[in-house]
Parts: sequence; structure tokens; C-alpha cells
Amino acid sequence: MPEPESELSSREVEHVARLARLGITEDEVIRYRDQLRHILTAIDALKRADTSTVPATAHPLEERNVMRDDRSEPCLTAEEALKNAPSREDSYFKVKAIQE
Amino acid sequence: MAITTRYEVVVGLEVHAQVLTQSKMFCGCSTDYLVAPPNANTCPVCLGLPGSLPVINRRAVEATIRTALALNCEIPEFSKFDRKNYFYPDLPKGYQISQYDLPFSRHGHLDFDVNGEARRAGITRVHLEEDTGKLQHEGAIEQAQSSLINFNRAGVPLMEIVSEPDLRSADEAREYVMRLRAILQYIGVNNGDMESGQLRCDANVSLRPVGRIEFGTKVEVKNMNSFRAIHRAIEYEIVRQTEVLEAGGRLVQETRGWNDARGLTVSQRTKEFAEDYRYFPEPDLPPLEVSRQWVAEIGSSLPELPAARRDRLIANFGLSPYDASVLTSSKPMAEYFEETVRLGAPAKAAANWILGDFSRFLNADHKEIQDASVKPVHLQQLIALIDSGVISGKMAKQTFEAMYRAPDPEPALTAAKGSSQISGDAELTGIVDQVIAENEKSVADFKAGKEQALKFLIGQGMKLSKGRANPQRLEALLREKIA
Amino acid sequence: MKLFQRTIRDLHQMLLDREISSVELTESVLGHIDAVGEKTKAYLLVTRELALRQAKAADDRLRARRDVKPLTGIPIALKDVLCVKDVVSTAGSKILKGFTPPYSATVVDRLESEGAVFLGKTNCDEFAMGSSNENSGYWPVHNPWGLDRVPGGSSGGSAAAVASGEAIAALGSDTGGSIRQPAALTGTVGMKPTYGRVSRYGLIAFASSLDQIGPMTRDVVDAALLLQSIAGHDPRDSTSSTRPVPDYLATLRKGVKGMRLGVPKEYFVTGMEPAVEQAINDAIRLLEQQGAKIEEVSLPHSDVALPAYYIIAPAEASSNLARYDGVRYGHQAPGAKNLIEEYMLTRQQGFGAEVKRRIMLGTYALSSGYYDAYYLQAQKVRTLIIEDFKRAFEKVDALLGATSPTVAFPLGAKTQDPVAMYLNDIITIPANLGNVCGISVPCGLADGLPIGLQVIAPGFREETALQVAYAFEAAADFRKLQSPLMRAA
Ligand SMILES: [Mg+2]
Ligand SMILES: [Zn+2]
Repeated sequence: MPEPESELSSREVEHVARLARLGITEDEVIRYRDQLRHILTAIDALKRADTSTVPATAHPLEERNVMRDDRSEPCLTAEEALKNAPSREDSYFKVKAIQE
Repeated sequence: MAITTRYEVVVGLEVHAQVLTQSKMFCGCSTDYLVAPPNANTCPVCLGLPGSLPVINRRAVEATIRTALALNCEIPEFSKFDRKNYFYPDLPKGYQISQYDLPFSRHGHLDFDVNGEARRAGITRVHLEEDTGKLQHEGAIEQAQSSLINFNRAGVPLMEIVSEPDLRSADEAREYVMRLRAILQYIGVNNGDMESGQLRCDANVSLRPVGRIEFGTKVEVKNMNSFRAIHRAIEYEIVRQTEVLEAGGRLVQETRGWNDARGLTVSQRTKEFAEDYRYFPEPDLPPLEVSRQWVAEIGSSLPELPAARRDRLIANFGLSPYDASVLTSSKPMAEYFEETVRLGAPAKAAANWILGDFSRFLNADHKEIQDASVKPVHLQQLIALIDSGVISGKMAKQTFEAMYRAPDPEPALTAAKGSSQISGDAELTGIVDQVIAENEKSVADFKAGKEQALKFLIGQGMKLSKGRANPQRLEALLREKIA
Repeated sequence: MKLFQRTIRDLHQMLLDREISSVELTESVLGHIDAVGEKTKAYLLVTRELALRQAKAADDRLRARRDVKPLTGIPIALKDVLCVKDVVSTAGSKILKGFTPPYSATVVDRLESEGAVFLGKTNCDEFAMGSSNENSGYWPVHNPWGLDRVPGGSSGGSAAAVASGEAIAALGSDTGGSIRQPAALTGTVGMKPTYGRVSRYGLIAFASSLDQIGPMTRDVVDAALLLQSIAGHDPRDSTSSTRPVPDYLATLRKGVKGMRLGVPKEYFVTGMEPAVEQAINDAIRLLEQQGAKIEEVSLPHSDVALPAYYIIAPAEASSNLARYDGVRYGHQAPGAKNLIEEYMLTRQQGFGAEVKRRIMLGTYALSSGYYDAYYLQAQKVRTLIIEDFKRAFEKVDALLGATSPTVAFPLGAKTQDPVAMYLNDIITIPANLGNVCGISVPCGLADGLPIGLQVIAPGFREETALQVAYAFEAAADFRKLQSPLMRAA
């Protein structure tokens, strides 16, 4: 069934899932597509808000120039760093081959 | 070559330079990752553990602004960090804290020269980000079953210096990077080590028919870790791309890795799946207001830069533009030169030695001048021996090599002096007599108690003997005769 | 009255007077966890040994009268989003099953240095994403006021633990209402401090520009005490404020006489239950009787707060949750052929449905071509909401409204409809976006289920919110209300 152009498509859902490295099944593509469409419709009011006169707020912060001095501090031991590693070899984290 | 007249080469460079700091960009872990055991220089922040938060290293920010000023950049008053989102196992958080639309600087330029001719490349921006961890593969990346990760490098402050696509040949690209590296070293923000990856260079290479304004399809070349590699890789790409175009083919936008052993570039990633970095402002870091006063403070501490030093060497010492350029391409080398001259060596001779045999030996050994056992004081003495005719040019070359190869150059230098030294009193007496006869005033001064005058008389004796007199014997005989 | 039923302030006095020991108190609470824990499922992990060890140390401190603080020896529960060194911390997610952080959150360090006793990690919606606790990667929490009801979320475990007597107090986190809404639904007091008031270091992030840690307690005095000990600048959190922390107890009992309290008309949303509306109106009248001047105010952009939130929070979350890739910690899918497959499978298996939904939504909103329409526009709307509050606070000292439009709903009632679930936070979200603080305090029951009054004060005016909430609590005396699970003991 062709999908309306303005609506989120299954292809887009697959693309987004891939960008987010989320494995999803074919059924889930449909389910997420429908749910995301529903959510996007529900929050459509966002697009209608008149924001022509205001800047964006990325931070609610009043702070500026928060910096630390360049001093080295004790860190973790390699053992502590690797304590939770699902796969390791010696003092390294180990991962699967990288080729895609 | 016909091909080079049909196409114009367009190169832009992205240089990543680690900032010399004690601690990492956003945490207190030490940056001495090259010597630390694997994963021992890590903490919750640079491992990207849940709940950890970054805090900006002030020194890294100042080093970036310092670099930007040295590259004649504008420093905007407002800046911020952003997240660049992508997945890779050497990137602990799944995003790199970098700068997107409001970097610390933009619109600069870098002057350099190619075979003594002045060139200028625009600097698009200098921004600050964090380095990634390091992956190690068993064998080639394409065949490896698994990779090992060391996060010691993750979070080391990293500047990205992006040039405009203003470079028109491999020569220009190489000279640009050499000059850039010299500047980074001069201002003390990077150690210039390309082999260990503390300075890294990627090149965007494209061709366009001569006269065309639009750019051709660009290819990003990575993994060049020496000046020579930069030059070879770009030359290779120019030939490869020309051949594709000449054969009526189309180039694809892609990333290619330089394989130094095989002397060619290999496709790493075609943009079949386009990355979308989804930049957005880093919510864990408040923005920065870069006051003009802060910029002025940083600017006031900038030392003399290579271009200025080059001009000064030409003006003060009469060096050729070429020699002056090469000497100032490395801060230690320029300093070595000036020290040798300060000790009394003629500038031209000092430059010739440093740029000649000395550089040849250093290059062959992959060594830097500051690490050589021959120090300016030794080189100056060697030059003095030649100038005073004590040793011949041929012998000087042998002496220099012997000095260079030895852990301590003194014995070789002394041997050269001694090889023709006059220690016999019979011959020395004649010299002493002549000195006394020709310098009545100084003799009188010395008799009146002026020790200084004896120094002068010794000097005259050395001159008469063309430096060959044994100074101790000479002094003893002078004292004896005058008394 | 059993020890576990008391407040921090009472227990502190009893500990000081050596009427009880911290070990006795801790055993009392642990015993009650044993008795009702299976009913509420409030905890993911009870750290019995750690608690008793800390209780003994607290007793030493109390005996020596050395460095005794209001929280010394007091058993407290920690929401599972807070990292505790060497204690499993999962944020309610399977992807972090078994993860033991090598460091503690700053708030945890602060409580520890005060001599508090850690009872364990409370259940929550996975990565704090939810309003009913049904999104926990482990199991749902049951409301101590009605076990077939949700406790609210995402700090539902903390709320249920405090309401059932399984903790004297707890810490929660609030990104869009996750402290206040469960506090309202469980008859407890919950406060979301101003962004920047409490360090987020060691708080497993959901949405970095909105998350705040706050107290969940039996009454307002306890909330003030707990906030006092966790508030203040932390050099490890660049977004934590350097403003000095006032003495919250000093102003607590000043009353509301002469105060101007605003009632945003937009906060009486459609779908609000009549009993809730009634209770809120009664509460407003009571505060008026206490001498407050009540004024209707308008926060005209309230209707776009929810949409803005459901772009900003998922966008930040999509990035914050990218680190769960199975490389350094947490779940790693077995049997993958290569790295990308391992990533996809790890995250497919490790994350629950709601988390995936928000990652997808956030990734979409940030992706090229949609950034301006969604993310940037949401940030601009955020500016409008901040300005709404600024204008309102030019006229009034604090704002009043319901915390949740409904009382606790039955488990499973809204799980099939994400949008209906999102509406739960419609009157708590503006405070997170608007850079202000808010507290929920019990204001009555409807069919035996608690209702919460929300008091919102300007940024860094927690003392004002606490003062109004205390005045109401003292006048209304709903403080004595206890959940059936607490009472039954
Ligand atoms: Mg970069
Ligand atoms: Zn670190």
C-alpha cells in the first residue's frame, strides 16, 4: 500500500533504526512506523507554535566558561576499567570484526 | 605530462593535532597514553560509563585559540561544544564531543613557500574535540576476526585544523603541513610527531578541468603518517583520478586509505550508507564566552612564528630564502642554528652544516636535531677549526661524522684539534717571541697586572699558529717570557 | 508507631537521644521490606549487608557524637539510575544487567559522607522513560495504596518504597515529572529541584538538559532536609550551579500570609478527573484561608510543552543511550557475525519497547532534514515556556496546580497507547522545560487513592516551593495519611 508522502515511511523507520543501531524485525518496522506516526501527529502542535521572534534554548543554564585546570588526577586501574567488559583479552576490550 | 595541463588539482587538508596537556580534554586522566599499560589511563568519563559527565580543560581551549591566532583566524565571541553522533568501537560514548557551527575560530590563513616561492592557503576553521581510543587488529582490518581496544587515547584533546581547498599540488600540500607543524611546535601546542599519530593528516583530493570553477568529485585520503606519505598519496591519487577521468569514467565520493608499503590508496568506505552525524549542542557543557581580553592575553604570549623568523634570518644573517625556510621549518632546528651562530660560527657555514650532512644523518636515523649528541657548541668548534685552517674540509666531514656517531662528540673534536696541534716548545717559542714583539702595549698592560691582556696575547698566538698551538703550553711560555 | 513509619526528623531526634540505634532502625525497615516487598516490588536490589554495615558505622558516629548530620543513620532508598560503587546499577534496564560501576554518583557520596544508610536500588522505568513504572526492564511496581494500580513513574519504586514503609526517604530523578507524578500517585512528597541545583554526576542520563535528582519523602520537612544534603555545586558536573544553597529549614515555617500564589488556568487540562480538580480547588482555598493572595495566571504555551518535551528528551536520549553497545559493559548479544550485527542485536535485546521508541523518535528528530522542524523548533518552544514562567513570576511568588490529572490508574490500562501514557506528564513537564522547581504534596484521596498538589516556584527558589508546600501540609494535615501497606504493619 502506498504511503502518504508527508507521513513517516517504513523505509525511513528502517533508516532511523540503522542510524541508531537498533535491530528491528519486519513486524516491528510496521509497528514502530504506526506508533511514531501517531506520536508525530499528537505533537504536531509543535510545528504551529509561533517561534519567529525567539532564539532556541539549548541549555537552561546561566553558567558560562565552566572549565577545569589542566591537572592530571588518579584514574581507574585497568582491572577496574575492564571489570564489566563482556569480552576481553589481556588488558584490552575485545570486539567483533569491524567489516560491515 | 599532458594530463597535468588538462586538469587542475584541488587539495584541502584536515589536520588533527593532539594538544599538549597534562590531562585529557574532559577528565583528569593523564595524557601519557603512549607509555601507559593498556586501559590504565581511563576513568568513568573517558570510558563513557553511565552517569559520567565532561568538564572542559581550560588549557586545551587556550591552546586552540593560540593556534587559531597563529593561523590568523577570527575568534568568535561565543562558542560551544556539540555532539557528533556515530557508532564505532573506539568511540566510548557513541558520540564525539566536538564543535559544529560555533567553533573557536574561523577564516584564517597560513603562509608557506614552495621552493622559495610564497604561497597562502585559507584556514576554514580550527576547532577542538576529543580523540578516540585505539583499535588493534590481528592482521589486516579486512580479515581480522576481532579487534582489541585500548581507551588510553580516548579523550585526549585534539584540534582539527581545516584548510580551504586552496592547495594545487602534492608539493604544496606537503609544504603546507610542514609549515603548519612548525607553527604548532613553535607555539608549544603539539609535538609534531606524525609517526605516533600525535599529528595526523587527511587530504581531500579532486580534479577539475582547467578553467572550471565547480569542484570535481572529491576523495578523502586517510592514513598518511609522514610528509613523504602525504606527498606520495596525493601524487598517487592525482594519477589514479586522472586515469579514471581520461578513460571516460566517473569518480565516486569515497574514503581511501593510503597503504605506504604498497604505495597506493585503497577504498575503505563508499558512501552507500551515508553517515548522518546528527550534531546537536552538547547539553552537558555550558557554552563559552570568549572575551576579547582573554584572546588578547593568549595572543600576547605568542612567540615569534616561523614566517617572521625566516624573514629575520634572511635580514640578519643574509641567508637565502630557501635555507631560511628550511631552517625555520622546525623550531628546534632554527634554535640550533641561532645558538651555533651566537657562539661565534659564521651564519652561512652553520646553515650549510645543519642543512647538509647533519640533516642527512638525522633523516636517515629518523632523529630530531635536539636529540643529536652534537650540540651547537661542538658544531661551532668544528667550524672554527676549519676557518682557522687547522683541519681541511675533507677532514671536517670525517670529524663531523665521528662526532655524530659517538654518544659523546668531545673525543672526536679533541682528536681533530690534537692531530695537528703544536706542543713542542721549540716551535711555540718562535710564535711567542713574535707575539711579544708585535704587541708591546698588551705586554705592558699584562706587566702592569691586567690579566685580561694575557688572554689577548694567547689569542694572537693561536691566530699565528692557525689554531694549532696547544693553549696551555702557549700560556705557560708567554708568562715565562714576559716575567 | 513502628520505626519504619516515622520521618527523618523524628528518627534523627530519637537517634540523637540514643532512644534507638541505626541498626535497630535499619532492621525495622529491612524487616518491613521482607514483609511487603513481594507486594510492591519496589526494589530491584536490597543491599542488606551494606545497609547494616553503614548502620553500625552510623551508630559509632552517633555514640561518639562525632560529625552527626540530619541523615546520619537514616535508611534511604536510591533510584536505580544512581551509580553506587560496586553495587549493581542498571537504570531499570536489561542492557545494564549486572553492571557494577567503579564509582559513585556525587549525591551518593554526599549521603554517604552524612552517614546515611543505603537500603538498595529502587525499581524504575527503564532509563527513567515512563510514567507508570511498567517500562521497567525487570518487573512493574505496585502502588501500596492499591496493588492493582501503578505507582506512577519513572521513580515509581522510590515512591512506593517511601509510601509502603520500605524506606524512610528516597532519591528519585525527574526529567518530565518522574519524581512529582509518582509522589502524587503514592501520597508522598516529591521535589524536582531547579536544573543545576543538584549534581547529575553519576546519574545515568535520560535527557541531559532536563534531568534532576530530588528527594522523595513522607513530608515537606524531610524533603527540605534531604534536599539540603544533596544540593550545591559539584566541579564534576559543569551544569551544576555555583549559587549558594540557602538554609531550607530556616524559611520553611514562615507561612503564606501575604504571598501571591498564581493558578495557571491552563493546568486544569481536559481529561482531569473531577475528584482531582475538586481536591486542587480545596487546596487552593485552604492556602487562601492561610493568608495567601490567589490570582489566576496564564502560561499560554503550556499546550506545546508536551510536544516540545517529546522531541527534546528523546533526542538527547538517543545520543545518551548510544554508549550501550555491548563493548565496555552491559549486555552483549551472543552469536553475531560481525560488529554491526552485534551492535544491532545487543541493542535489540537489551532495550525495551518504550526505550526503542524514544531512541527512534529522537534519532528521527535529529536526523538531517528534520532537525529544524523538530529539534530546533522544540528548543525555540522551550524559550517560549521559559518566558511564560518569567512573566508569571513577575506577578506571583509561586504557582499552584495538580501534579497529575488523574489518580493512580490500573496496571496495564495505558500500556498499549504511548500517547495516552505521555499525557500523564502534561502538567509536570513545563517545570522541566521552564527551568523552575516544583514539589508535589499530598492533598487528599479519591476512592482511597492519593492526589497531589503541585507547587511551582521560580528557578533556584526551592525555599519558596517548600515554604508553600509546608504551609499547606501543616494546615491540611494529610500528612497522617498512610498507605494500607504501611498501616497494616
Ligand atoms: Mg574531527
Ligand atoms: Zn578519563
